Amino acid sequence: MEPDSSSPEENSSEKNDEQQDQSAEGEITEDSKPSDGSEEKEEAEKEANEDEADQQPPDVVKVTDEIDQFIALLSSETVDDDNEPPKIPESLEQYAFLAEAKIANYDATDNPVKWGELPEELMTALLENVARIHKLSVSLSKFSSHSEYAMTLNRFGEILQRALSFFEEEFRLLLEDCDVQNIEYSSDPDPEKELPPVNYFPGYPDDIIAKLNRLVHALITTGHETECCQLYFLERRKALDAALDRLGYEKNSIDDVQKKNWDAMERDIVTWIKTYKEFSKNILPSERNLIESIYAGHESASLNLFRILTRAFLIQLLNFSEAVAMTKRSDEKLFKFVDVYEALRDLVPALDGLFPADDGVHELIKSDATLTRCKLGETIICIFRELECKIKTESGKTAVPGGAVHPNTRYTLNYLNLACEYKDTLELLFKEHQRIERADSNRTGPEFQAANNQPSNNNEEVTVQSPFQLQLIKVMDSVDSNLEGKSKLYKDASLSLIFLMNNGRYILQKVKASPDLKSVMGDPWIRKRSSDLRSYHKSYQRETWGKVLQCLNAEGLTVHGKVSKPTLKERFKSFNAMFDEIHKTQSTWLVTDEQLQSELRVSISSLVIPAYRSFMARFSSTFTPGRQTEKYVKYQPEDIETYIDELFDGNSGSQPGKKK
Amino acid sequence: MPPTDHQSSFLNRISIRRNQVTSMEGNHDQELEEIELFQKHVADRLAELASSTDDSNAFLSIAWFRTLIDALLCCESEFKAVLILDRDPTHFVKPPLDRVGPELQDRCVKALDICNAITYAIDLVHYWQQLAEIAVTSLEQRPIGDGQIARAKKVLSALLMFIADDNKEQTKSTERSWSFGRRGSGSTVSKDKDRGGKSFRYMNLAFNKSWSAAKEIQAMSANLVEPRGKEVNGLAMPVYVMSSVLVFSMWALVAAFPCQERNGLLTHFPVAKNLIWAQSLISLQEKIGEEWKKKEKKAKVGLLEEVQRMEKVATSLVEFADAFKFPVEEEKLKEVEEQVKELSEICKKLEEDLAPLQQQIREVFHRLVRSRGEIMDLVEQAGYIMGSSA
Repeated sequence: MEPDSSSPEENSSEKNDEQQDQSAEGEITEDSKPSDGSEEKEEAEKEANEDEADQQPPDVVKVTDEIDQFIALLSSETVDDDNEPPKIPESLEQYAFLAEAKIANYDATDNPVKWGELPEELMTALLENVARIHKLSVSLSKFSSHSEYAMTLNRFGEILQRALSFFEEEFRLLLEDCDVQNIEYSSDPDPEKELPPVNYFPGYPDDIIAKLNRLVHALITTGHETECCQLYFLERRKALDAALDRLGYEKNSIDDVQKKNWDAMERDIVTWIKTYKEFSKNILPSERNLIESIYAGHESASLNLFRILTRAFLIQLLNFSEAVAMTKRSDEKLFKFVDVYEALRDLVPALDGLFPADDGVHELIKSDATLTRCKLGETIICIFRELECKIKTESGKTAVPGGAVHPNTRYTLNYLNLACEYKDTLELLFKEHQRIERADSNRTGPEFQAANNQPSNNNEEVTVQSPFQLQLIKVMDSVDSNLEGKSKLYKDASLSLIFLMNNGRYILQKVKASPDLKSVMGDPWIRKRSSDLRSYHKSYQRETWGKVLQCLNAEGLTVHGKVSKPTLKERFKSFNAMFDEIHKTQSTWLVTDEQLQSELRVSISSLVIPAYRSFMARFSSTFTPGRQTEKYVKYQPEDIETYIDELFDGNSGSQPGKKK
Repeated sequence: MPPTDHQSSFLNRISIRRNQVTSMEGNHDQELEEIELFQKHVADRLAELASSTDDSNAFLSIAWFRTLIDALLCCESEFKAVLILDRDPTHFVKPPLDRVGPELQDRCVKALDICNAITYAIDLVHYWQQLAEIAVTSLEQRPIGDGQIARAKKVLSALLMFIADDNKEQTKSTERSWSFGRRGSGSTVSKDKDRGGKSFRYMNLAFNKSWSAAKEIQAMSANLVEPRGKEVNGLAMPVYVMSSVLVFSMWALVAAFPCQERNGLLTHFPVAKNLIWAQSLISLQEKIGEEWKKKEKKAKVGLLEEVQRMEKVATSLVEFADAFKFPVEEEKLKEVEEQVKELSEICKKLEEDLAPLQQQIREVFHRLVRSRGEIMDLVEQAGYIMGSSA
């Protein structure tokens, strides 16, 4: 076959010296024999000796010129039954002989030439000649009804097929030779690697890309596009499959997913999100880049390949999220569901840049992703509604000892607190879903609709509240109504109030401590809760201390301007008894919030101590100092203060008076 | 009759009737009638399938499968109308639905996996189609020369190897893809036989290696039991009808399409004999079962009509290629032209029918997901209703 046109000798001999051990390379130089350089002579003689059967080599340049002329001649000829076509020149046979030998050298069974290592000029020569043979075949076929033409055509057809077959194999081998180690779709979340640089190929050096492109061009222009694309598809699919493996992704069936326990599922979801993001943000864009470079100049083939590859993998990946969305819902799954929801939502913009507008496969993938996302959205909303429902209908019959914070209150508030970390997503999700639900209001059960209609019945303020806010407020309301119910489990009305205060305080503190939760619940809600708490406090004061204060009331103690000693004795006795009793019970009650505890003590002190002090000041002198005073005036105001400070400690009840 | 019209009129009728009758007690007669009607419709559909023999709709061809999937989709809509529409949710937590309901749900999940496996299998058949098309293009050239023969032989041998590779577990295959005949025209098919396997498997591995379509079918049919005694006239019946049609459809698809691991596929699963639709289903099942038994020994291609024909033509064309000497005799050429024409027609049919079938399978997938979700919601609601009334 034709060697390089300008200065092939030095080049190929250089190569030959470098790679003398490669027989195929050695043979290549055979073509450069028609040389005029004397330094080539020895070499040529040597080879001629090696292969005695070798005839006088034809002048390649001359031969190819003749071929080109013949092609030009044929293309100007018209096919006509009456006319004999031009005589086939002898040089065709020479050319066929050369080409056949050349291809056989390249495509040798035991030691074929590697396309990736072929010097530039030899590659160009080979590609040019294959193109020439193709052109020649097309020209010859015009007159294929003439047997001489048919024979020649057959000869070249076979050579062409062999050459293209060699190209196919080399294309595949080069693709297969992807350097996995150098692939940088990394698993480390380095933000700088988020967007691959423009010249970024998964595992192939730039010069190989160019060589692959030349093969693609040769194959497609000779009508081997299907072969070429199938090879790419198979090899890259394998490579991307390996990428899935490296990311730790398992191809679970939907059935597997339904049967897994939640812990295992959580791990799988984390892996899925990682894999999915990696695919949509890095792997697919670089694959697109790779296809576009390798198939440069053949846009429709490249787009089509990208479509089918992407489809195969995204359907696989979307399938997992579908399977997740189908699992039985429960509170604990909320957060992972929102993660998956976010990943699906982010896919759409990530893919937008990779496909042309209105692409069918793109639309299909988007609609699948959206469908699954909506389903997850529905599930997420159901989880909130069920939480609301569950709290409302929960009817445990045991009261928390000491009126402390109920575990359910803690659970719910922590849960909502976590949920609010996803506030932005959830806000959008609720809004979007509300729209869907309005359009499709027959789908869900009647109570869901009822729940959904509620907002319009509320007051003015509601109109500015988002559906997510409303939902959270509803969950809070159900917590309230549940607490109301639970508070009735206490026989002691004061303890009931302490329970409400404890829980109310806990809720308020939790909400205030979380900026997200606080902004979702809003200031009006917070004001309302604070005022509720104050009213519980007041009720408690009345309930527990009202009767005590009555003992200290001067009214009814004086008869005709004189203090009635028996009544006074009675008053002191009942004060002491009541106070003892209160201290005994209420120091076992528990207020964990220090501020609330101290507020309660301070308010009780300021209520009781001044009253007691002035009562004492006015009436204690009535008693005979000594035993009588000691008997009735059991406490000094300071003692009262000390004992009040022992309330709500959750102690197992110490006796007043025994202390000190 | 187009399925959608049929289905909507049926749905309307049921819905109107349900709205008229508010008391659940008074509903029983209507319900019986609905169930009967449902069975009758299923019977009609299956009878149509069993009798279809004309050329455009050959048994086990893709067109035939499209009719089957249509039947499945219709059956599913009617089933939903009978079972779910305006149904009191508490029925789902009481016998017999508390038992047969979850079984159905489990079958649905497995059917979803099979739908996915079939989706991949359709891609694979499409891939085969492309190989066959290359051969057609090559052999349609005139004159047929050694180059065309080499090209056609290469792709057809690859095609046959892919087809043969299904069902056969190769313990060790090299990383080679179909591009065999690696070095020159001298290498033979047998020499390169080890090369295709791995890539084929990449085309077809939708799931973990342990997943087997045959096992899924087995599991789906394992607890498929005909309702007895009082249950014959209750909600267990529509569930049974639906399950039978679902299992049958999935089984037939698996038998026909090259999906992951079909070794040990059942040739038969029990179906109640005395129900009006059962006869058609049993006869279809027997026909397919027989075919499978015949083919399984050869352990290859699957029952899809087009692919079987493709395999036959490809084999014969490869034989022709092996014996080829240029120039080809006139008589031989005529014979080959016939075969190439047939292959081309098969390709055309595949081109026309594969994509719509894939869409239908996707539709089945989405429908099953949706129904399953709706039943799950009803069960959930029932839980609350029962919980709050307790």
